[in-house]
Amino acid sequence: MTLTPYQIVVPAISLLLIAYAWSLVMRQRKTIWEGVLWTIFWGAVGYLSMFPAELRYLSELTGIKRNETAVTVTAVGVLFFIVFYLVVRIEELSQRLTKIVRNDALRNADLKDQRDDR
Amino acid sequence: MRTAAVIPAYNEAKRVADVIKAVKPQVDEVIVVDDGSRDGTADVARDAGASVLSHAENCGAGAATMTGIEAARQRGFDVVITIDADGQHDPTDIPRLIDAIRGGADLAIANRFGQKNVIPLIRRAFNAVGNLLTFVATGIFLADSQCGFKAFGPTALKEVNLKMSGFEFCTEIIREAARFRWKIVAIPTKVIYSEYTLAKGQSFANGVRTAAKILLRSFLR
Repeated sequence: MTLTPYQIVVPAISLLLIAYAWSLVMRQRKTIWEGVLWTIFWGAVGYLSMFPAELRYLSELTGIKRNETAVTVTAVGVLFFIVFYLVVRIEELSQRLTKIVRNDALRNADLKDQRDDR
Repeated sequence: MRTAAVIPAYNEAKRVADVIKAVKPQVDEVIVVDDGSRDGTADVARDAGASVLSHAENCGAGAATMTGIEAARQRGFDVVITIDADGQHDPTDIPRLIDAIRGGADLAIANRFGQKNVIPLIRRAFNAVGNLLTFVATGIFLADSQCGFKAFGPTALKEVNLKMSGFEFCTEIIREAARFRWKIVAIPTKVIYSEYTLAKGQSFANGVRTAAKILLRSFLR
């Protein structure tokens, strides 16, 4: 079996991302469950890049056989990713605003430490 | 164990005073987080004897809950009870949640489906979807993952850090429990649905948005 550069680079990236996910799990920034989900997703990406012939089943299932259709589907996928990325960015901005509002509420509350009363 | 009750409230001037009066005998302090209400909720809560924190803008139930938890943390409380401001929960159930914390639980969650309660079918259906999404996102299945009536023990209170602003925070709490391996205990409780509480409930569109956020977040982390 002769491997193309694509079949080496993509599985390597997938492995890297899986290792990164588990390092986040070790640092308690991801749960074990999320680590498993990531492993399944990137494992599948790495596997399919190494054995693209496995996609023949998908081709039969979806009916995408012509290259032009595949390009259109890929373009829709890219657009979907862009929207996904924008949603994430908006979500981050919203979180920053919320943090400002929350900190402001805490600052103005003039809280008294109950530990003093013990 | 010094206990505070956190009540996130948005436009709940009609109900919040009764809830505060019923909760007060069960805890050491009641903290109401007014989430940008326009109906005088903050004044009503203050008059009813609660400590009030006010968000300048409406940020969502998750953000209000986290503000209340942070306030309780700063004030040195050991246990925090979160309870809805619309009066759907019975505050006499609070001691049972605190007992669960005393018994070693880090997080005690009320289970509205654990005893005979009159719950509309649509609510049961929404809750089932919420439970399923929570399971997919966290790997933990609970019979009532979306209930706002909870108790945080000392460990959970120290570690919890909610980032989600809206109603998806209920799932995020379960995610925090999975992340820090808290011991969760579900306590069957009463629930009182009225026309008011049902009218304040979530719309289908809001539910879909919440579900999308839960899945998005669980994958992006």
